[in-house]
Amino acid sequence: MRAPFRIVFEQRSETPKYLSAFVPLVSVLAALLAGAIFLMATGYSVGETYSNMLQDGFLSSRGLTDTLGLSTVLICMGIGAAFAFQMNLYNIGGEGQGYLGMIGGAWAGLALGPHLPSVIMIPTVLLIGAAFGAVWIFVPAFVRARLGTSEIVTTLLLTYIAASLVNHFIYTPNSYFRAPDVTFPMGRTVPDSAKLTALGDTRMYPTFFIVVALALFLFWIVKRTEFGYRIQVIADSPRAAHYAGINARRTTMQVMLISGALAGLGGATLIVGEFGKLDPGITMLGYGYAGIVIAALARNNFAAIIVSGILFSGLRVGGDKLQITTSTPIHIGVMLQGAILLFALGGEAFRRYKIRTVRMQAVAQ
Amino acid sequence: MKKFWKLAATAAAASLIVAACGGSDSASDTTSAPAAKTDVKVAVVYIGVPTDKGWTYQHEQGILQLEQELGIEVKRVENVKDDATSEATFEQLAADGYQLIFATSFGYGAPMARVAAKHPEACFQWATGAKFLLTKAGGGEYADFPALPTNLGTYFGAAEEARYLSGIAAGKATKNGKIGYVAAFPIPEVLRGINAFTLGVRSVNAEATVQVTWTKTWFDPTIEKQAAESLLDSGVDVLAQHQDTTAAGVAAQAKGAKWVGYNSDVKEAAPDAWLTAPTWNWGPFYIKTAKAVAAGNCPADEAYGNMKDGMVTLASFGKSVDAATQSLIEEKKAAIIDGSFAPFTGAINKQDGKAWLKAGEKAELGALLSMDFFVEGVVGSAKG
Repeated sequence: MRAPFRIVFEQRSETPKYLSAFVPLVSVLAALLAGAIFLMATGYSVGETYSNMLQDGFLSSRGLTDTLGLSTVLICMGIGAAFAFQMNLYNIGGEGQGYLGMIGGAWAGLALGPHLPSVIMIPTVLLIGAAFGAVWIFVPAFVRARLGTSEIVTTLLLTYIAASLVNHFIYTPNSYFRAPDVTFPMGRTVPDSAKLTALGDTRMYPTFFIVVALALFLFWIVKRTEFGYRIQVIADSPRAAHYAGINARRTTMQVMLISGALAGLGGATLIVGEFGKLDPGITMLGYGYAGIVIAALARNNFAAIIVSGILFSGLRVGGDKLQITTSTPIHIGVMLQGAILLFALGGEAFRRYKIRTVRMQAVAQ
Repeated sequence: MKKFWKLAATAAAASLIVAACGGSDSASDTTSAPAAKTDVKVAVVYIGVPTDKGWTYQHEQGILQLEQELGIEVKRVENVKDDATSEATFEQLAADGYQLIFATSFGYGAPMARVAAKHPEACFQWATGAKFLLTKAGGGEYADFPALPTNLGTYFGAAEEARYLSGIAAGKATKNGKIGYVAAFPIPEVLRGINAFTLGVRSVNAEATVQVTWTKTWFDPTIEKQAAESLLDSGVDVLAQHQDTTAAGVAAQAKGAKWVGYNSDVKEAAPDAWLTAPTWNWGPFYIKTAKAVAAGNCPADEAYGNMKDGMVTLASFGKSVDAATQSLIEEKKAAIIDGSFAPFTGAINKQDGKAWLKAGEKAELGALLSMDFFVEGVVGSAKG
């Protein structure tokens, strides 16, 4: 018995406007439905779980500020990833560039902090962190631009080296980054002049507004400037760009360096923000990898990344607190976070492809 | 399907209601009756999962004792990273009205202290902690000891006593005098353990050496196994460990070597290799602290348990530990418990052969808590 028809995916030449809003919405609903089935099967209350996730991630004042606080670094990682992705350059090493941003920021804070006032120190820490991120992507960018070497492999591999570097700086005795006179390996806290204070009684820092402004600025750059136009042309057709006299090598270098710098900036926000020191714990948190997902959810649209970054952050904050506020174990929270992301990304297929059924007979003839 | 929509509607409604009450972050459940003697809301924050058969598993056994003794249910929060991000977890627990919060990893200290300062109504207990490290002088944020929150205590214990005893078993078990030690991080706690173990080894086998390999992780079965195998390949015939899993034991058994575990009595993981293990019994401390908090006191001292009070114990012996060795260990254990013997009693030389303690001299607790060197007989670098 053969099925009387088969399903065919056809690429859409143009995506209807309504689908762009409809698909993500249905994706999230489908994810919640799938999560609900899982929760019911494992005997946990669907209503309690979802209302708590929503409450602890977005609705309570503590939940909302925690979410916006975490979203600062996530949005930064997201725009960093998207900046390369938009030109089909797959920098998946934002994670490692973020570590370097943290190293650079911590260095700037420790070395210059005692001599300079806060007004100068905060931008310095952020800029040096960004510069370190750019340095970390320089070699992958160079070999990609000159030799066409896959940046996917090089940026990923450099992430492991960056992680070892962080550990090295903390576990080596007498390291510059390590708290002195203490036999416990832990980072040295930067001076107060290199740290921002949280907004009121929250864990949210003013860097959130800087990062949001930066995302909007990039949105404008890409849509409205000649540089943005060049990126679009190369992304759409490298050959056309070549004929138009666009220097693709130089643009590749520029775009990748900016992408690395943005990820480095993300790492540096943690120095002026909640960490205040180089901490090997960063290698367990995966903010840079999260940035890839956030960029993909927003389809590399810089304004949309603000939204997807906040949503992702709320999902994480709400999901992580599930095990405190309900009897749901941590694994369920993590599973729900994963399911929602998977559906949201999977829904993309429906936006890009038209799905039709074809009668088997017709095919056979 | 109808049921689902009903649920969905309930969820939506519930979230709206909760939202309407939002902002009341203090979340004091005013409905709770005046506290009965053991009516106390307790939470524990775990660095790993209670099924690790090691560090977290052993804390879980203590929490289970607490639950039984007081007839309460303890909230467990698992897999919480011990860096600045853990502050959100402690904040939420305090806001939810937990009166006593235990946290089982070193890195929780600074974030927990910050939350403790904001929530004087709750009591915080930091396992393996040292308040010195929260002061400016120790690299922390507080000016000095008096500036520290008064509702924060630390708890840990003299594992070195049981380490020494397990060293006797290892010293008797080795045939070629070469013992390996898979160790996590070069911090005082671990160095102290290695040194006490080595002193135990050399009390019965004066020429034996202890080769240390650093893994730079508490919990990673793969890396622990690799470290154990490289030690075994270099010729050691007994392994000891300061790690959270049983990976070293499994590796030892596969090579026909012997094994001294840590944290838990998990003989079944590698029954042929098993000698014994220094283990923890957190239950009595958890019960005592919860009772104090229920009575309105928050113990804010730096609790340091030992074999006498039962926080530190020695696991059961494996079949290859002969009767003579067992009775020798029991004898030393009795001496430790009655106070007539301490592992760090001179004469002891440092790794380079220079004298550390004179004959009969006992090490001060402060020197033990900040130990940063190896004693004679250890091979490897105390700097990691």
